[in-house]
Amino acid sequence: MDSGRVTLRPFRVSDVDDFILWAGDDQVTRNIRMKTVTSKEEALTFIKDVCIPHPWRRSICIDDRSIGFVSVYRWSGNDICKADIAYAIAAKYWGQGITTKAVKMAVSEAFKDFPDLVRLQAFAAVENKASQRVLEKAGFTKEGLLRKYTFLKGQLKDLVIYSLLSTDISVAVDDKLL
Amino acid sequence: MEADGKQGQEGSPELSLRPLDLSDIDDFMVWATDDKVSRFCTWDTYTSKEAGIDYIKNIVIPHPWFKAICLDNKAIGAISVSANNGNDRCRGELGYALASKYWGKGIVTRAVKMVASTIFNEWPHLERLEALVDVENGGSQRVLEKVGFHREGVLRKFCILKGRCRDMVIYSLLSTDPQP
Repeated sequence: MDSGRVTLRPFRVSDVDDFILWAGDDQVTRNIRMKTVTSKEEALTFIKDVCIPHPWRRSICIDDRSIGFVSVYRWSGNDICKADIAYAIAAKYWGQGITTKAVKMAVSEAFKDFPDLVRLQAFAAVENKASQRVLEKAGFTKEGLLRKYTFLKGQLKDLVIYSLLSTDISVAVDDKLL
Repeated sequence: MEADGKQGQEGSPELSLRPLDLSDIDDFMVWATDDKVSRFCTWDTYTSKEAGIDYIKNIVIPHPWFKAICLDNKAIGAISVSANNGNDRCRGELGYALASKYWGKGIVTRAVKMVASTIFNEWPHLERLEALVDVENGGSQRVLEKVGFHREGVLRKFCILKGRCRDMVIYSLLSTDPQP
């Protein structure tokens, strides 16, 4: 896959049919908070009420068609130095380096959009090896295994926590190399 | 007032945990005004009794689980477990502080063991008791390790303490771990 075809952009209401293809798939939504969408109405509502107003949520696109999402959630107060990154893409695009490419792009954009951000962190379920590989390839550091950390879709999960610091990214790297 | 107590040796003071209330204000001010105690805490050293009274009224008394650490029923520190909501209700965060004159005697270790032995019964929905400790706070790390908490890793630049972004060690004790 020519990596130039992978882009990030805000969601549009017109993404709805493409959105259902991945957000309607239990495999894709298994390890993220959002529920699998089951109708076009639900998809539209989610795009309008969640994706578009979100402070930092992008559609991962191939040839400008939505195949997934990546979002950055900024904390506040004493936690303002950090933000959580989350992502998912359509199952047909798994295993091709697309998610890694999208996460690298999102990391670069997020640190630019939030110049005072110090720490980007990500959580992957202990059994989700593919997501752990994405984070490792994108340059995140594995920090540890958090046992019985949270409920996800009604199941108590062990999560691996990763981080990427603003100081981990060399300012000398040309963005194009990412 | 009901006290969870452990008797020391014959003649040595009894350590207990009980609710902290406004009548403890003068004892509270002993550790709350000490920079050595507040150094690794999220709160700043207290400088007025009024602020201490406000804290006890507005934070301590309504808190889901906040106890004074007492020697012969006199408050010499505090220990608390915070509650979370929704998907995070399985975990609670442990915090504690002790007046510096009582450091190095194993008091906090005993207090943490007392919490660990009751909190999972008091909160049946709790699966995980966790604690975040500044990487430079060796004393507190040793307390948790002696009680049997698992050191899970170092979270780099995790949160802001006294205006600086700090690396924090994260520890956990599960309801299914061997009882301390």
